[in-house]
Amino acid sequence: MTKGSSRTSQALKDIRSLKVVAIHPDDQDGEELRGQLRRIGCEVQMVWPSLDALPEGTDVVFLAVRPETLSIQFPWLEEKGTPPVIPVVSYENPIVIEAVLQLNPYCLVPSPVRSFGLLTAIAISLYQHKSKRTLEHYVGRLEDKLADQRKIQQAKTILMETRKLSEQDAYDLLRAQAMAKRQPIEVMAQAIIQAHAVLDF
Amino acid sequence: MTALHNPPIKIGVLFSSSGLTAPIEQSQQRATILAAEEINAAGGINGRQLELIFRDPASIPSRYATMIEQLIVEEQVRVVVGCYMSSTRKAVIPVVERHNALLLYPTFYEGFEYSRNVIYTGATPNQNSVPLASYMLSNFGSRVFMVGSDYVYPYESNRIMSDLVFEQGGEKLGEVYIPLDAGWESYLNVARKIAALRPDFIFSTVVGTGISHLYRAFAEVGMNPYETPIASLSTSETEVAAMGADIGEGHITAATYFQSIDSPLNRKVIANYQRRFGETVQTDTCWEAAYFQMHLLASAMSIAGSDDPNALLNTLPGLEIDAPQGRVRIDEHNHHTYLHPRIGRLNSRGQFDIVSESAGWTPAAPFQISHTLIDADTVSGTAEGGARE
Repeated sequence: MTKGSSRTSQALKDIRSLKVVAIHPDDQDGEELRGQLRRIGCEVQMVWPSLDALPEGTDVVFLAVRPETLSIQFPWLEEKGTPPVIPVVSYENPIVIEAVLQLNPYCLVPSPVRSFGLLTAIAISLYQHKSKRTLEHYVGRLEDKLADQRKIQQAKTILMETRKLSEQDAYDLLRAQAMAKRQPIEVMAQAIIQAHAVLDF
Repeated sequence: MTALHNPPIKIGVLFSSSGLTAPIEQSQQRATILAAEEINAAGGINGRQLELIFRDPASIPSRYATMIEQLIVEEQVRVVVGCYMSSTRKAVIPVVERHNALLLYPTFYEGFEYSRNVIYTGATPNQNSVPLASYMLSNFGSRVFMVGSDYVYPYESNRIMSDLVFEQGGEKLGEVYIPLDAGWESYLNVARKIAALRPDFIFSTVVGTGISHLYRAFAEVGMNPYETPIASLSTSETEVAAMGADIGEGHITAATYFQSIDSPLNRKVIANYQRRFGETVQTDTCWEAAYFQMHLLASAMSIAGSDDPNALLNTLPGLEIDAPQGRVRIDEHNHHTYLHPRIGRLNSRGQFDIVSESAGWTPAAPFQISHTLIDADTVSGTAEGGARE
C-alpha cells in the first residue's frame, strides 16, 4: 500500500453519487440509516416491507432482515445484474443467518445501526461486487474458450480418421480452411462436426 | 438514620398490564413485587429500601424502548427488570447499552444473544426444548405437528425440534404459525387439521392469549390429551388457570420451575405469595425467574454496595442463590443462568405432575446451534456444581 498518495480511487469518489434503496422500517435504525446515507451524500429511497421491482439505476440495497419478514419474497434478487445487498440484522439466530446467506452479501450492518461503519460497508460491497462481476466475466470467457478447444479437438479427430492424417496435419488443414473461409477456427470446427454428423448417421 | 440519609434504590419494572402477553407479564410483575417486599422487610440493601417504579408498555415493542428510556433518564433508574417477548427485549437493549444501565430479563427465549448490560434468568433451548424433545420422542413417537405464534421464538424452537425429530427418523406433519392477535377460528382450523393428521404429539410454542384458544380448540375437536398430548414450552400454571384445569389436563410442558415442586423454600414462597396476592393466584416458570432474579439482584447490590451497573456487572456473574426451583447460578461468560430442566404433565387441578427432572442444574448454552437428544429419564446430564461446558 502506498502511503501519502493523493489519489483517491474512483470507486470511493463515486460513493457520493450512489443511488441507494433501503428496505427498512421507519424506526430508530431506519432513521439512523437514512441520516447517515444522506450525510455520505447518497440518494436514498426508503421502502418497507416489500419491493417488487428495484428502481432503475440502483447501486446498493440495504435490506432489514427480520424474523417477521422472512417470508417476503423479493423477485429482483434472482435477476442478473442485481446490485449488492447489505443486510441490516437485529437477530443472530440460525434462521436469520440462513436468510442472510440467501442474499449473498459481502458484509452486514448490525442493529442498533450506528453511523460508523456504513461507508466502509458500502465500499466493501461495491468493491467485492465489481470483483465478483469481473471474475464471473472471466470465468465465462474461459468456459467459452474451453468449449472451443473441445470442438477443435473433435474436428481434428474427425479429420484424422476420415482423411488418415496426423494430428498436426489435421490441425493445419483445419486452420487453412478457416483462413480461406475467413472464419474463426472454432466455427470451422463446428461446421466439420455438423457435416460429419449429417454424413455419418 | 433518617430516610433522608437512606434514599431508596429505585428499580424500573417493565411488564405489560394490557395487551396480548399481559397475563404472564402481570405474573412476573407480582413476583417482582413479592421479592422486593421480602427484601425490604428483611432490612433492604444495607439499610436502603427498594422502590419499584412501574411502566406499562402494553405488549408493544417500541413502547418498551420509549419507557425504559423514560425510566433511565427521567426517573434516574439504573436497573430495570422486565420484558417478555424477544421483540420487546431487542427493542430495549440499544437503550440499555447506550445508557450503560442493567436489564434483568426473566423469560425463556431462543438464545443467540449476549449483552454486557443484560442478565438472562430464563431458560435457553438446551434447558427446555431439548429435554422436551427427548421426553416426547422417547415416550410418544416421532410424528410431530408443530404450531406456534408467528414470531421469532417459535421459529427457532421449531428449527431445534425439527432437527431432533429428523435425527430420530421422525416426521414433521405440519408447521403452522398463527398471528399473535388471531381469534378463536384460526385455532379451531388448526385443531381440525391436527385431528385429521393424527400425530404422535403436538409441539406448541403458542404464547399469550392464544394458548387458551389452542387447548380449547383441541378439546372441541374431540382429541384426547392422554393419547395425543400438546407438548409446550410456554403453557404454564398461569395460562391453565385462565383457560380452566379441565381443558389442560393431560397436556405436557417443559420448564425449569413448576408450582408443584415440593421443596421447603418453594412452599414457603408460595405461602407468602398467596398471603399477599390471594389464595387463587398461581406461580409459573416466568414468575419464578422474576422472583429469584430480584433476590440475586439484592444479593449483588449488598455485595457491591450500590446500584451502579458497572459494580453489579462485576458481582452478578458467578453469583449463586437458592431459588424455588433449586440452586441457580449466573454464568460468568454468557450472563445466562444455570437452571433445572423439568417435564410436567397437567393434572385435574391445573398443576403439573413432574414426570422427569434433571439430577442437577444445567448450564445455559445460548449459542448452541446443533443439539442432541439426552437421556429422557433424567432430562439433564450435568450434576450439581458439575463440569462446565
